[in-house]
Amino acid sequence: MLVLTRRANQSIMIGSDVVITVLEVHGEQVRIGIKAPRSITVHREELYYAIQQANKAAASPTPAALEGLGAIRPLVPKSPPPSPDNSPS
Amino acid sequence: MSEADIPELNFPDGLMGFPDAKRFTLLAWGGEGSPFSLLHSLEDETLEFVVVPPLLFFPDYEPEIDDESAARLELTTTDDAITLVIVTVPDDPKGATANLLGPVIVNRHTLKAGQVVLSLPDDFIRRPLLAS
Repeated sequence: MLVLTRRANQSIMIGSDVVITVLEVHGEQVRIGIKAPRSITVHREELYYAIQQANKAAASPTPAALEGLGAIRPLVPKSPPPSPDNSPS
Repeated sequence: MSEADIPELNFPDGLMGFPDAKRFTLLAWGGEGSPFSLLHSLEDETLEFVVVPPLLFFPDYEPEIDDESAARLELTTTDDAITLVIVTVPDDPKGATANLLGPVIVNRHTLKAGQVVLSLPDDFIRRPLLAS
C-alpha cells in the first residue's frame, strides 16, 4: 500500500480526476472530502461490504422460504400505485 | 403496467456484490394482495431477489438520496423515483428482513436503476418486516 503523509487541507490525486482532501483532523477522526466523476461511486468500505453481504444473503431465496413468504402481508393495505411512464419516445 | 411489474430495468453499476448483474425484470409475485415482487436477472437465470415497496411495511421510511446518486439516476424530483427494498427471506419467513440502508431506486421514466447507500444507522440494513 502506498503511504503518504498529509495535513488538513492537503490533497491527494488519484489519476487525473479523483481528488481526496483531508478536511479536518480531530483526535481519532479524520474528515475527508472526495471529488470524483459521477461514474465513480464512493462508499465507506465497511458499509460497502455490509451491503454486499446483505445482497448475497438475499439473493435467490429457496423455494421453501418463498412459499412461506406468500403469507406475509403488509401493515397497510396495498393501494393501486401509479404506472411508471414507459411510453416509447 | 404497474410498479410491481416492469419488463426491463437497467442497473448500470449492477448491485453491490453482483457488479455484472445489470439487467433485471421486475415480476409481481405472490398473487392477489401480495406486496412482493421478484427482481429477476435477465443475464443469470438463477439470480433473483425479493423486493417490496418499503412504505407498506415501514410507513415512516423516507429515503434521502444524495445528490451524486440522484444525478447518476437522472432523478430531478422525488416523484421520479420508485423505491424498492431488498428482502432477505430465511427458511422461516417470519424472520424476513428488509435492507432499508441500501434501497433500490428506479427512475420511473428511464427505468435506470441503482442501489443507493443512505446516511442511516447501520442496523437499517436488516429491519424485520414483521414487528416481533
